[in-house]
Amino acid sequence: MKKVLDLQASITSLQSMLEDLLVATADGFLHLIHWDGMTNGRKAINLCTVPFSVDLQSSRAGSLLGFEDVYIRDMEYCATLDGFAVVFNDGRVGFITPMSSRLTAEQLHGVWAQDVVDGTCVAVNNKYRLMAFGCANGSVQVYTIDTTTGAMQFSHKLELTPKQYPDIWNKTGPVKLIRWSPDSCVVMVTWECGGLSLWSVFGAQLICTLGGDFAYQSDGAKKDPLKICSMTWGSEGYHLWVIDGNSSSNMKPERNANNEAQQFGILQFQFIKSALTVNPCMSNQEQVLLQGEDRLYLNCGDAAQTQSPRNTSAHSEHNHSREKGPFSGGSLDSQGLSTLLGHRHWHVVQIHSTYLESNWPIRFSAIDKLGQNVAVVGKFGFAHYSLLTKKWKLFGNITQEQTMMVTGGLAWWNDFIVLACYNLNDHQEELRIYLRTSNLDNAFAHITKVQANTLLLSVFRDIVILFRADCSICLYSIERRSEGLNPTASIQILQEVSMSRYIPHPFLVVSVTLTSVRTETGITLKMPQQACEAESIMLNLAGQLIMLQRDRSGPQIRDKDNNPNQRKHLPFCAPVVLAQSVENVWTTCRINKQKRHLLEALWLSCGGAGMKVWLPLFPRDHRKPHSFLSRRIMLPFHINIYPLAVLFEDALVLGAVNDTVLYDCLYTQTSAREHLEVLFPFSIVERTSQIYLHHILRQLLVRNLGEQALLLAHSCATLPYFPHVLELMLHEVLEEEATSREPIPDPLLPTVAKFITEFPLFLQTVVHCARKTEYALWNYLFAAVGNPKDLFEECLMAQDLDTAASYLIILQNMEVPAVSRQHATLLFNTALEQGKWDLCRHMIRFLKAIGSGETETPPATPTTQEPSSSGGFEFFRHRSISLSQSAENLHSKFNLTKTLSMPSGPSVKRWSKDSDCAENMYIDMMLWRHARRLLEEIKLKDLGCFAAQLGFELIGWLCKERARAARVEDFVCALKKLHKDFLWPFPVIPASSINSPFKNGKYKTAVGEQLLKSQSADTFVNMEMDTGISTTPRSRSWLATISSSQREMDTVSSHGPHMQDAFLSPLLSKGDECSIGSATDLTETSSMVDGDWTIVDENFSSLSLTQSELEQLSLELASKGPHKSQVQLRYLLHIFMEAGCLDWCVVIGLILRESSVINQVFSIMQSSDIDGEICQNIKTGLDAVDKWASTDCPGYKPFLSIIKPQIQKLNEIVEEQVQPEAFQPVNPSKVPEQANPRAEESRTSSSHSTNPQSDAGSNNASRHEEDKAKTEDEDSFQEGSYDCVVS
Amino acid sequence: MIEVLAKLGRGPVFLAGEVLECVITFTNPLSASSTSASSEMLAWASAQIHCQFHASENRVALPPSDGSKHDVQAENETVFVPNRGERGQCILSTPPKILFCDLRLDPGESKSYSYCETLPVDGPPSFRGQSVKYVYKLTIGCQRVNSPIKLLRVPFRVLVLHGLKDYQFPQDEAVAPSNPFLEEEEGLKKDSRLADLATELLMVATSRRSLHLYNISNTRGKVGTFCIFKTVYKIGEDVIGTFSFSEGDIPCLQFSVSLQTEESIQEEFQRRRGQPVSFTVHARHQESCLHTAQSSFSLPIPLSSTPGFTTNIVSLKWRLHFEFVTSGESAGTCLVRGSQSEAVTWTGVEQMEVDTFSWDLPIKVLPTNPILASYVSQFSSTNSITI
Repeated sequence: MKKVLDLQASITSLQSMLEDLLVATADGFLHLIHWDGMTNGRKAINLCTVPFSVDLQSSRAGSLLGFEDVYIRDMEYCATLDGFAVVFNDGRVGFITPMSSRLTAEQLHGVWAQDVVDGTCVAVNNKYRLMAFGCANGSVQVYTIDTTTGAMQFSHKLELTPKQYPDIWNKTGPVKLIRWSPDSCVVMVTWECGGLSLWSVFGAQLICTLGGDFAYQSDGAKKDPLKICSMTWGSEGYHLWVIDGNSSSNMKPERNANNEAQQFGILQFQFIKSALTVNPCMSNQEQVLLQGEDRLYLNCGDAAQTQSPRNTSAHSEHNHSREKGPFSGGSLDSQGLSTLLGHRHWHVVQIHSTYLESNWPIRFSAIDKLGQNVAVVGKFGFAHYSLLTKKWKLFGNITQEQTMMVTGGLAWWNDFIVLACYNLNDHQEELRIYLRTSNLDNAFAHITKVQANTLLLSVFRDIVILFRADCSICLYSIERRSEGLNPTASIQILQEVSMSRYIPHPFLVVSVTLTSVRTETGITLKMPQQACEAESIMLNLAGQLIMLQRDRSGPQIRDKDNNPNQRKHLPFCAPVVLAQSVENVWTTCRINKQKRHLLEALWLSCGGAGMKVWLPLFPRDHRKPHSFLSRRIMLPFHINIYPLAVLFEDALVLGAVNDTVLYDCLYTQTSAREHLEVLFPFSIVERTSQIYLHHILRQLLVRNLGEQALLLAHSCATLPYFPHVLELMLHEVLEEEATSREPIPDPLLPTVAKFITEFPLFLQTVVHCARKTEYALWNYLFAAVGNPKDLFEECLMAQDLDTAASYLIILQNMEVPAVSRQHATLLFNTALEQGKWDLCRHMIRFLKAIGSGETETPPATPTTQEPSSSGGFEFFRHRSISLSQSAENLHSKFNLTKTLSMPSGPSVKRWSKDSDCAENMYIDMMLWRHARRLLEEIKLKDLGCFAAQLGFELIGWLCKERARAARVEDFVCALKKLHKDFLWPFPVIPASSINSPFKNGKYKTAVGEQLLKSQSADTFVNMEMDTGISTTPRSRSWLATISSSQREMDTVSSHGPHMQDAFLSPLLSKGDECSIGSATDLTETSSMVDGDWTIVDENFSSLSLTQSELEQLSLELASKGPHKSQVQLRYLLHIFMEAGCLDWCVVIGLILRESSVINQVFSIMQSSDIDGEICQNIKTGLDAVDKWASTDCPGYKPFLSIIKPQIQKLNEIVEEQVQPEAFQPVNPSKVPEQANPRAEESRTSSSHSTNPQSDAGSNNASRHEEDKAKTEDEDSFQEGSYDCVVS
Repeated sequence: MIEVLAKLGRGPVFLAGEVLECVITFTNPLSASSTSASSEMLAWASAQIHCQFHASENRVALPPSDGSKHDVQAENETVFVPNRGERGQCILSTPPKILFCDLRLDPGESKSYSYCETLPVDGPPSFRGQSVKYVYKLTIGCQRVNSPIKLLRVPFRVLVLHGLKDYQFPQDEAVAPSNPFLEEEEGLKKDSRLADLATELLMVATSRRSLHLYNISNTRGKVGTFCIFKTVYKIGEDVIGTFSFSEGDIPCLQFSVSLQTEESIQEEFQRRRGQPVSFTVHARHQESCLHTAQSSFSLPIPLSSTPGFTTNIVSLKWRLHFEFVTSGESAGTCLVRGSQSEAVTWTGVEQMEVDTFSWDLPIKVLPTNPILASYVSQFSSTNSITI
């Protein structure tokens, strides 16, 4: 069937319009041709006869076009506006509408779009009633019709900003083609000079091939943009078919085509879109769900999401993506775990091929609340899939599937799938409910007849909302019934609301949802339990958000008599328009009293205008809620992503963006493969999320709603990114106001600063913000938030050293070096005290940097610092260096001290190369001071850490301090402190040698008289000594008496040749300790430990030899500290030995109980000429230890007696040295004195021991030494007596 | 009544060789104020990890196992047998660890214990195949006095990265600080380092791209070219490949690509000689491609699938299975009716002779970061019982 009509001029545009064909010709005529091609149905309208005006009201006197040669270049019929948008050849654009229903020349009227004079093309969006006019300048002007005046009303503009595409500005050429997608949600625009761009219905830019990866090859070369002759969307908007303009001219045919290529290349781009573009049911969209023609993308398994089900109504755009160019390769980089919500990974569900084969393409999809089940709808029937079991469920009966056509979308309600469909068998509209767990069969479905074709379906709690083609909204209650094996759900109609008065055409309704939102929040505040009730209907009518609120003004609002039947008849108030240009709406029916602001708000996405939130305002004072009828406020804000889901509690927006994978480089290998491959990268979809809270807080502050902002912020303060929110807010306001050219009359920064001070993160927020802004803005910032010096000090006071360090960098830039040095010193000292080593290292660097900047000396990079900073690994190498250094140091110290006149101690070159740098000196001074303090406070462990962490050259320093800070003043105190610091237990007398009070008692009863006698004698002696030490200053005479008594004992002991175990167990001192008890805390605890041990041992105390040996072994082990401490102590011992701090060596030797150490020390003392003072000090110290041991810590006694001979020797040395000097009365006689009573003691105890072998066994090893010791003892004794004589 | 709750803090997926940490909380749920409140006693609780192996009778012939001895022990009610009552045999278990003895919980009181165990590095991965199953479980047994043992099972998934166990931490020894005052927080770090190392190894193994080009031809001639950029993938990645039919001599009408695993029983354990291997399809792409010059496909490797592995009994291999339907006759495949000068109608032929042939391309599929895999695990990370 073919018919030729001659219109006598070339055709410029052709449109089908219901039953007519509308043809525009170049002679300025419009031809209206009836579809059947009958010429008598044809009408020609001369455009010159159509009156045009600005709006329809004035068009009665409208002017005609007024000049000749005007014809229509492009036009498109808009059914929902009942007229056609036209572009004239002179660039003007307009809208021609019939005044009555019939299109005849007399009744046509036109309106101008006044601002457009360079129109090139037009495309009409029927659903949103938009006309998009492409212009020669490259932008697209989108108009709608003002329904009251009939004038063309500017809606928005699609324009590439020079900010995003700097070099593209004005290089696109005129707009060539505009194509709205079949679901009217997105529009594709292309230009004469090439390039593709995709925009959401209200102008959010989604993709553009003129920038980024699309425009450049990986080597940076500019690509030729794809020139497009023609394009069209495929079914459901999953594909864009494009005829490549380049191909006809410069490419070989059949080379560049993707699909179906003959002469021209045809490219097919694949798209996926958000499920809610077509199925905007709010009930079940808690996640981003994208649907493609054969697969679904879910943002899988965010833990937060599954825990708290979310309810978002994301109705949204095509997320363009996945261009199916002939490239390939890459894959999602699944490794990057984003900090906020999991990762970038999608869960991809491929739709079952059996279902797809007969029902392609997918039209609707829905996911359930927990994100565990999805349902998809194709041409006929539906199928659902469980993400847990990974199993699809399809109709068992294919006939049932093929006779069911889902028209109005679907939604999950718990375990049920609710869908509105058309029954092809019965020619009947139905509402069906299927149970997920049962077989997919109509036998298990609940089916309700519906009067008219359903266009939209949504579920709010237990209410199903249908929007029907007769423009009425139907509410049904849904109820679960668990009778029989399979639970079923039944549905009952609640209410029917006719909307035909407000809705010109049912097709215009984008979404219908039931919400709990009311204009006033007073009711929900009074009765928060009502917050979840269906309070209003939100209707998106072609972008206009209309709210119908339940009318509670009547008498029926009394809650008590409000049974369900009454409630459902509650009428709705007249509609109120909340917002324009709305693409998506999100609300939730969940309640969270802590986050009411976020949960009871209404979130809108408005395309290019960003997002809006309709935020409820609550009275701060909850005690009198009735007096305050709070309201809501609409706040607009911009985010950088296109929102697909709003996470209410988390104050987050989720989206998806096109990510590209470049494969350009690969084509060098494949040589002359198609140029198209180079035109586009391979695209994949990537997840995004964004914080928006700072925008809202700021908006509230701008509006003087600081209280609300505080309430809101406090409700979100636990979010992990809350600090980031504050920082972002401060930063944005700062950037805006500080860089503003004109003075700002009412700056927001002080308000924001004050707001942030309400949070403990204030100091941190300010400094982080400052460090991310340019220096030039700092003055402005700190003028608002306060002096950085004060903030620094606040940080110090709050012990927030890291933040303080950040402030230091600011001070360094804003203040003179002296000030920053002063503050740095403060911080450095605090950091040293707190052992924040990393910070200390930074501060050293920092201080040096200040110095080098100041004195123009080269940056300090001393070679010797490196090995020392790398810690102990270099220890031995370093040590040899330090030895020579220390010698050097000794020589140089006086010079330095003099020249620099450092008062507080000697200074030494630490880093030899830059010793002349004052800064280094300064740092050294501080380090020395700290080290000195640690040493004086006997914090050896801290000192070790300090030196290791900061690479402090300990040996050299100790050498210098040998006679000062590195002297041990109080050996006992030092010993105790070391025990404590290194968790080193006090030594224990082996159990068999009568350690515990318990055993002691036993012995007392068990052994004979003799023992008791000796015990009592000893007690007496010890008691006296104790009192002597603690109370009275030692008098020589007193000592003399003691020593004489000791001497007696000694001689007694020396008579028994077989009594070798001289050092064993001062029986009585044990008893003593018991009686004294709380002499010191430390001994008390250790004796407690001893007690425990022995009690345990008691169980085994039939005392076989081996057992007692074992006991001793275990005791010895128990008296050793942790391995790590031992290593550390040994390390320190080496250091002290190296530095010649012999007194410390002795202390560590004592605590380690290694006589070899003591020997070594003494031999050093003998061999080299050591300062007599040191020897004297050691001797005094040892004496003190000995005394202390006798009284408080007898566990040391055995060891002390081991080293007794050495001590004796020490006495000699001291003797020699002392003699020429002043009168040295006290000590020498004391050592033998102490050793001897023990000798006797042990002799007696061993002789009466129930188990003499054990003693022998335990002491075998030391026997030889003991023999020696004894002889030496006697020697020294003689010496001592001699000494006494001398004195 | 005591509630026992076991929680795998990091999620239910681990790499072999990693340390599994499970916090087990025992709660007396009665509130302290309730009238019938009384304290509850548990005699002991202990925990153990085991791997249960189960094979299909029809396909796998196992040598008689010594697994029966467990049943004998299980008679005794006080012996903790973690796999009691489960099918198959326990092929691997860690030493049992006692959590406590004699626990007393006052009303409302709860106590938590942390169970840590290194997963055996040489075990099989978790796998549910058609012939063979390897299932890992942490079993917590607890007993009241004079009552039978109650078991709480916490299933989890184990991924095995071969070669990881051989990989030493060379930097470990070298870095060991010899200054005893330099703090070393080695303990836990090492474990996270294992995961990091695995991630790094995986990244190195899977990010390497090398173009592989394959000429597809049958007896009649060349059909087209297939191009794939790599053959080693992690689970969760997409396999992307492209076809070029423009240089082919034989028209291709349709192609399909399936991502498959091949589960084969080692010969000595096969029930029947030469029994067929079983295939599982994880993703499939099908396209009609007559006149298509270029096309591509993207097949996701499910995060929940098992990477390729081999044990003494079974081996799992991944492959891409291609099927091409080509025109049997080289004659035109479409007809253009009417003369070129006038309007033209295109119609397809009603019948045509076709050839179908297939091709397999083996690929390697490796595990991924266990934390990532946790996001889609079918296991819950918390399990509980009440005793």
